[in-house]
Parts: sequence; C-alpha cells; structure tokens
Amino acid sequence: MSSLVKVEQKGPAAAVALPEESQYLTFLLGGDMFAIGILNIKEIIEYGHLTSVPMMPEFIRGVINLRGRVVPVVDLRSRFGKPSSEVTKRTCIVIIEVQVEGSADEDPVTQDIGVIVDSVSEVLEIAAQDIEPPPAFGAHIRTDFIRGMGKVNGEFVIILSVENVLSVEEMAMLEKAAEVVAA
Amino acid sequence: MSMEEALQTFFAESHELLQEMEDRLLAIPALAEEDRSETINAIFRAAHTIKGSAGLFGLDGIVEFTHVLESVLDKVRAGQLMMDADMVSLFLDCKDHVARLVELQESGATLSTDDQGKGNELVARLSVYLTDTPQAAVAPAGEASHPAPAHPTDSLALESLGGNVLDNDNWHISIEFGTDVLRNGMDPLSIFRYLGTMGHIVRVVSFFDRLPALSELDPESCYMSYVLNFHSEADKATIESAFEFVQEDCKINILPPHSRVADFVEAIKNLKQDDLRIGEMLVKSGTLTQRELDAVLAYQTAQEQGDSASQDPHKRPLGEMVVQAGIVQPEVVEAALHKQIQQKKAKSRQQQSIRVDAEKLDTLINLIGELVIAGAGVNIVAHRSGQTDMLEAASTLSRLVEEVRDSALNLRMVQIGETFNRFQRVVHDVAKDLGKEIELEITGGDTELDKTVVEKIGDPLTHLVRNSIDHGIEPADIRAARGKPAQGKVRLNAYHDSGSIIIEVQDDGGGLNRDKILAKAIEKGLVEPGIDLPDSEVYQLIFEAGFSTADKVSNISGRGVGMDVVRRNIEALRGNIEIDSQYMAGTTIRIRLPLTLAIIDGFQVKVGNAHYVIPLDMVIECVDLPEENINDGHDSNYFSLRGEVLPYMRLRESFEVTGETGKRESVVIVKYGNTRAGLVVDALLGEFQTVIKPLGKLFERLRGIGGSTILGTGEVALILDIPGLVQQMIRKSHHETSRASVKE
Repeated sequence: MSSLVKVEQKGPAAAVALPEESQYLTFLLGGDMFAIGILNIKEIIEYGHLTSVPMMPEFIRGVINLRGRVVPVVDLRSRFGKPSSEVTKRTCIVIIEVQVEGSADEDPVTQDIGVIVDSVSEVLEIAAQDIEPPPAFGAHIRTDFIRGMGKVNGEFVIILSVENVLSVEEMAMLEKAAEVVAA
Repeated sequence: MSMEEALQTFFAESHELLQEMEDRLLAIPALAEEDRSETINAIFRAAHTIKGSAGLFGLDGIVEFTHVLESVLDKVRAGQLMMDADMVSLFLDCKDHVARLVELQESGATLSTDDQGKGNELVARLSVYLTDTPQAAVAPAGEASHPAPAHPTDSLALESLGGNVLDNDNWHISIEFGTDVLRNGMDPLSIFRYLGTMGHIVRVVSFFDRLPALSELDPESCYMSYVLNFHSEADKATIESAFEFVQEDCKINILPPHSRVADFVEAIKNLKQDDLRIGEMLVKSGTLTQRELDAVLAYQTAQEQGDSASQDPHKRPLGEMVVQAGIVQPEVVEAALHKQIQQKKAKSRQQQSIRVDAEKLDTLINLIGELVIAGAGVNIVAHRSGQTDMLEAASTLSRLVEEVRDSALNLRMVQIGETFNRFQRVVHDVAKDLGKEIELEITGGDTELDKTVVEKIGDPLTHLVRNSIDHGIEPADIRAARGKPAQGKVRLNAYHDSGSIIIEVQDDGGGLNRDKILAKAIEKGLVEPGIDLPDSEVYQLIFEAGFSTADKVSNISGRGVGMDVVRRNIEALRGNIEIDSQYMAGTTIRIRLPLTLAIIDGFQVKVGNAHYVIPLDMVIECVDLPEENINDGHDSNYFSLRGEVLPYMRLRESFEVTGETGKRESVVIVKYGNTRAGLVVDALLGEFQTVIKPLGKLFERLRGIGGSTILGTGEVALILDIPGLVQQMIRKSHHETSRASVKE
C-alpha cells in the first residue's frame, strides 16, 4: 500500500520533470506497447548467445557477452509476472544503464542490464502534457513499475519506471528469498 | 619534476620513513644496549630527513615538531639518554603525530585544535628529556652559537686530526648548481633559507662566470655558483642533507671548520675547475686568507711534481697521494672507500624497483585479460582450419600469452611481510592497554600474494590479532597457574597450499570453550539441542552475527569489525576461514585465500548446453561415474573411489538443467581445504585460461557461482565457486538428515 501512495505522489512531480526527457523508445511486449526514456538506453542488440545462470529467479534469463563485458539479461515479461513470450526473429535485447546504490561507504555505480523485448518499434516524442499519472489498477503490472501513461495517436503507451523495474537491490533480494526457500 | 610532483614524492617518502621509524622503534626493546646504536641512528636519520625535506617545502609545522623530536633523539644517539619502554611509546606517539601532520598537508586540511593539543602535549613530554641534563641542552636550530660542535662525530674528529689545520671555524660550502635545477622545481634560495635554520650564513659570494651571452641565455636554466661561509653546530651529514634534492646535478663541496690544506686541494681537484678561480672563490668567501691560499697552491704544485717524478703512467688516486704525504692514516681512506662502495650498493638497490601507478598496472592486467580471451579465440579458429602451420603459430602465441599473463600477474604480487610487520605495533599497543606481555612471532613474511588481497586482508587480520590478545591469551596469573610462561605468544604465519595462500593467526592462550559456545548457540536458537556437531562447526559459530561468549566487553575487541564481518570480508575475497582450537592450549585461525583475483587456470566442463569452469587448482582428478551409480535414485550420493567414500553432487540436478544426460557422465573430483567431493558433469572439455569477469551486484548473493568468463567463441561461461557448492552440499545433507531425525 505504501508503494501505491508513493507513486501517486510521484506522478505529478514526474510530469513536471519530464520536459528534459521527452523522447522515448517504444517496444512491444506480449501485445502491449511500452516505452522507456531514451536517456537510459545504451544500445539495442539482436537476441542470442545467452548463458543461463542457475539458481536465479526465472526473470533473470542469464548473461551475455557485450564486447568483453558480462551483462545480465532480464526477461521483462516474467518480471511482470507473466509467461515469457517465445523468441522470434524480431526479439531484441535492449541494454539499459541503471544506477546501483552502493552501500554506505561506496559511491553509486552504474550497471548495464539487458531486457528482452518482443520487438522494438520507434523513438517517439511524448510531450509532458500528454503523460497521465499511472492508473491505480488495471494495467496488469505493478503500479510502481509505471512512471506514466503516454498518449500517442489516441492510444496509451505504458512508460516504465526503469529504476523500479530494474532495481538491482530488489532483484538481488528476490534471489536471496529464492535461496532461503530452497534451503 | 614540478613542485607538486616533488611534494608528492616527499609525502610518499615520509610515509616510508615513518614506517621504518616505527619498525625500528619496536625493535629497540629486543636489542641489547650495545647493539642499539645502528637502530637509533636509523631512527634519527628518518626524523632528520623528514625535517630536512619538510624545510625545503616550507612546511614549518612539520619542521618545528620534528626538530624537537630530533633533538631528543640526538641525545639518545649521543648516549646521554637511555631509550626505555616509556620513551619508545612516546616516540611512537610522536611518529603518529608526524604522520598525521604529513597527512593533513597531503589532504590540504588544516590542523584541528585536537591535533594541535596533541602536538603541544608531545612537545611538552619531549622537552622533559631536553631539560633534564642542562649542560647538554641542545640549542634550537638557527640560534646555534656555541663555538664548538656539541656532538662532534667521529669522522669530523678524524678530519681535524693532523695536517695543516687552517685557522677557520666556519664551514666552507661551495656549490655549483646544475643547469636543470630550476626546471626540477628546486630553488637555490629555499635551500639557503633552510640552511639558515641550521646556523648562520656568514657570507655568500655568487659567481656568474657560467652566465652565457644574453642572446643564448635560457631563463629557465640556472647558471649560478655560490660559495658560502657558514657558521653552524650541525654535523656534515646534516648540512649535506640540505642539498639532498639537488645533490645529483650539482657540484657540492662542504668543508668542515679547521680543515686541513689537503682538503682544500681535494675540493679544488674534485671541482675540476680552474685552480686560480677556486682559490679566488675561497679567498673571497673568507674561508682562506691569501697566505693560506698560497700554501694550498704550493702544496698542490708540489704534489703534481711528485706525480710526474714517480713517472707512474697511471695517475695515482688522490686518496693515495694524501696518504703518502702522511696527512691521513690509511684506515681513514679505507673507511671512506668502504662507505663509497656501500653508498653505491644502496643506490643500485634503489634503482631495482620502480614506483608505478597502481592504475597503470590494472589497465595492463585488464588488457592482458582481453589478450588471453582473444588468444583462446585464435586457438579455436586454428583448430577449425586444420592447418598445421597455423596451429603451430597459434600454440606458440598462446604459450607466450600465458607467460605474459604470469609475469603481469607477478607485478601485482607483493610480500605479505610488510602487512605482518604492521602488527608489531598493534600487538605492542594492545598488549600495553591490557597490561599483558605478548610476543609476536612472524613467519612466512616472504609469501607473495595479490596486492588487492593484501590491502583487504589488513582489517580482518587486525581484528583477529586483537581478539587473540584480548580473549585468547590469559592474564599472567592464570597463565602461571596453567604452567605457561608469563609472556603470551601470538604467531602470524603465511604459506602456499594447493593454489591458495594460507594465513594463520595462532596464539598459545586459553583456546575456545566448545561447551560454552554450544550452550550459547543453543540459547540463541542457532543450533537445536541434542545435535552432535563436529568441533570445527561449533567453532564456526563464533562467526555468526552478534555472537559473543565474552563475559565482559572490552574496548579492544569491541572496536572495529566483528567476527561476522571478518568472515564476510574473507568470503568476499573468495576465501574461507577455519578454526582449530585446543581448550587451555591455544587457538589457530586459518584463513585460506586465492592467490589472485584476476585470472585463473580453469577446467572447462559441460552440463546440458552450458559451459562451466572449475578453478584448476581445486581439481584433483576426473573419473567416469561408476555404472551402478548412473541410474540410481537420489538416495545415496556417494561412491567408492579406490576404497574411499567420495560424496558427489550432480550439477544437472543442482542447477535444474533439463534435457537428456549424455551417454557417459564424468565426475570431477575437487578438493577444498580438507573436503573432497565429486561433481557429476556431462562432458569434460579440458584446461582453459580463465579471465574472471565479475557478475555484478545482481548476482552477489548467489552461492555456488563465483564469477564468469568469456570463452574463445564469445560465449559466457560461469565459474563454479567450489567452496560455496561444497558448503551448500553439506548444508543440504545436514538439512535432510536433521529433517529425517525430526520425523523419527
């Protein structure tokens, strides 16, 4: 419940802060249209050569080699609690840079995380006034994952809150929970 | 060298000198009275050099403090004061204060009132020693006015023996600055200013003869020469130290007061300059009178004639000349020569090591990591091509890459000795605080390990050593009752063992009380009552968070990190920690660490479609899984290996890999510490150089997978964390057995 309140407070504030980030990459996932601010996106690569990591929650599909660096890949569909979609020719991995809060004595660092999407569509300008606060329910995914609902040609796209969807702390915690259950 | 760089060098050197000072101070109590002089000299030199260098940079705070310290040390050196335990502690505190001053300077911070108070207090404590013996009060630098040096050194005394002593009680210093002095960030003025703190500069004469025509003059070059007439009580080495930073590219000549004529001849010879000009310089600066100069020149001419008369084709060394002339005893020359050789040796030793920015080294290691991966890629292509010459070239390449990798990793290897030596101080302080008598024994200090590991091992080790002294070693009366020597012993040891480094902290104290730990664990609900645990597991309980059996909390082990943090730090280094203890007899804590964090030799295996890498130094052998175990249920996970029971785990099950198993399963037998275990895999793929890529924060809680690496094909393979897996296996079986016993 607390997260719900937090998001409701965040909604208008985010709408005010949005002008600086008005371009979004839109992509399809299980038939729904989603968007991510392009400032967080580093690159988009073809799906392939994924090495799965055992003993991790299902939504962490594995790791890939990104020019010598090992980057974890998250399956957005299973992160949203839905069955993952089939890999097709159009399946892509979007590499997103997220902030990882270090412990007290460390500086925050950035980490690259790949997310699997069914297909990428285009980069869109969405003006701040065209962005509505997220609905309290009905979007079928956790409300704190949604930053806002953008209106594009009379249809809504779900603008994702990258910090929450790809929260390293939360995902690492989930993995611990899995371990505790297994033990 | 710019001023800023020179300053950085000063900071680095000061830290080293202070470290040396501390080491020597701690060594003092163990030395017999008559063997101390060398050590005391070294301590004095360290303080002195810091003072001298600080003076060059105008760091007055450091100069003032070290001056007082130096004065007391000087009295110790002269045998007027005895160095006792109190004084050692005082000097240690002073050393800390100097270190603090240097650090403040380094960070650009200003002195806090606390620091100032501390400094004043130390100065007051030092001054007690200075006023105790009034007849030998050391005059503050800059105001020295005693006619004779307070503590003439042996060499000075010798130098004044015999020969035609000149009637002169001032030092004579001639210096010709090298052209690059200014470019190197050194200002002759600041040197003179510093010299001024040691005595009184009676006269300075400047010589401009090296000055070129204005059109050729380079404003950044130094063309100056000076002759100084200097009145001071300082000894020659002290005066010389003022020129320490410019020594290399300058011609310097320092002649003590009352020098013999021969010395001036030497000075003239050494400078290889026009005799007359030097003579002129000497007269001008007031060192010599015209009459004396005539004597010197006459002496020299006589020498030269003697030379040609003997018809020696080799010019005789000046030293010999002087001896023959009956001015100096042969022993003195010998001593001088010996000193020269020693200095040369010290210099060549210095040149054998180079300071390198750690970052540059890291970049190199990273690049070599990439090279190793690329090399593996080339190998795969070569094998695929099937061309013999290509294969040959590729194998030569990979052999070389392997060598490069090893030597690059070696660059990062440092001896653990330095880290161990720091504990002399820790033991000294803690033992003093607790009123215990402790001896620290260090062995295996030359064991090498990765610098990153060394840096991170300091804190956990400190905690363990403090613990040993506080909780391990019993108070003297209990020790006596137990028939142990009153002095407790803590031992630090390091050695290599099957690809790991072992660091041991050992004490001869009371040992761990197994029953007490177990009782506490049961009380805390960590262990179910009635379960019989092996000793090693009981001891492991002390690493649990918030676990303490101590009846009283002391400020010694309460400080810093707890035992759970120690364990976490060690595990973060991919190491583990074991305890061996005998009640009443002592405890040994054994830390096992990997040698390096960057690249390892790996053994590649396949499970399902995924590749995994097992650190090669943990692999003992590979065998086929015995037939009867292939299709058994999950009941018995062990088989007989040449008569021994070997537990094994199927990676396929642990990693929940689906799909058909291969026709033949293999077992990789791994050893970790004293545990041996088998890992059942689908296929063995052989050795492989593995560059460890961290998996990142997302996977940091994952046990059983230690990292990842990139194969030659570009695919990512995961590196198995054997200790993690083995522990998991043990935990799992405990869990199952305890569940079974509950069911019963």
